Amino acid sequence: MKKGFILAGLITLFSAASALAHFQMIYTPQSALETGGELNLKLVFTHPFDADHTMDMEPVQEFYVIHQRGEEGEARKTDLKEFLHEISWKSLGNEGKAYEAKIPSRVMRSMGDYVFVLVPSPYLEGDDEYIQQYTKMIMNVGGVPGNWHEPVGLPVEIVPLDKPYANWTGGVFRGVVMANGEPVPHAQLEIEYLNHEPDMRRNAFKKRPGIKAPHPAFEAMGIRANANGEFTIGLPKAGWWGIAVPDLIETEYNDIDMVKEAVLWIQVTDIK
Amino acid sequence: MKFAKFLAVPMVIGFMTLPLTAMAHTPLFSCFDNADGTIYCEGGFSDGSTAAGVPVIVKNGKGEEIQRLVLSRTSDVEFEKPKGNYSVTFDGGEGHSIEIPGSQIFE
Repeated sequence: MKKGFILAGLITLFSAASALAHFQMIYTPQSALETGGELNLKLVFTHPFDADHTMDMEPVQEFYVIHQRGEEGEARKTDLKEFLHEISWKSLGNEGKAYEAKIPSRVMRSMGDYVFVLVPSPYLEGDDEYIQQYTKMIMNVGGVPGNWHEPVGLPVEIVPLDKPYANWTGGVFRGVVMANGEPVPHAQLEIEYLNHEPDMRRNAFKKRPGIKAPHPAFEAMGIRANANGEFTIGLPKAGWWGIAVPDLIETEYNDIDMVKEAVLWIQVTDIK
Repeated sequence: MKFAKFLAVPMVIGFMTLPLTAMAHTPLFSCFDNADGTIYCEGGFSDGSTAAGVPVIVKNGKGEEIQRLVLSRTSDVEFEKPKGNYSVTFDGGEGHSIEIPGSQIFE
């Protein structure tokens, strides 16, 4: 009888754990800004739906922004690593090593799109696999669009077909999954809602969740792209949604298996 | 003569179409104080089209024009900060003008 309970407990634990997906975050409260200025970003590696666990980040490999004002404007890349400093991020169940970036106004002053790109150090999951999530978060200043729909040229990435910073609740978001510059047919995606609002001052997730999932399948929602690597997701609630594509490229790092994954964050806004 | 007629029809259609196209998107304009005695302004449209060549008018506190400039190939312009009250106008044509008072232009 006792063994039965332990087994049931283990199965429950395993089921719950399997529903959680890792998401590298680049977070700021508002992605569509009327005017430019100083910007504070938090880089956290976590499970955004339950916000229970934060994984330690090692020093990032690359962190930059590509700014473009207007379709015919010139894309300008600015390295942002000099603005990073380490912080401790409080999840509901632990604290993990994360980063904060205080971007000066001279970088975010002009109108246009700002495509933030983070290439973190590979994260060792267990003892036998590294994960490296190539992460994008796209902002706009002033309403003049630019390069939001352009591939950055990462080994793996999600290329938006809709503006990631201008989505109404109830709308849809479309994108294309790319690996080595080519669309990935039938790619498997995971979608998670950032369910615990980040507290920028305390470097912590707020305890109160935004929504309750009736089943683990609603926490990390699995979908597949079509034969052209394109996908469409519905946007039922305002806030930030993370889109991840696991296991896009299999390679090795330090003689251990490594998978390269793509992450894109989009923001959804209520019609008022 | 035949060639001139041949060209005239598409040209008229083209001129009729241009303003319609231009009206379908929103003009956007922004200025900053460079803190070195100069002002930087940039313009654009909500569909990402260029604002190169759009006139920018600088007026004094009395509303008198003191400088007439044009947005560059990269849709921006820089000029000396006027003394006293002033305003900057993006003159994108009827219904497409935006005026920014100097009091709202910050570093």
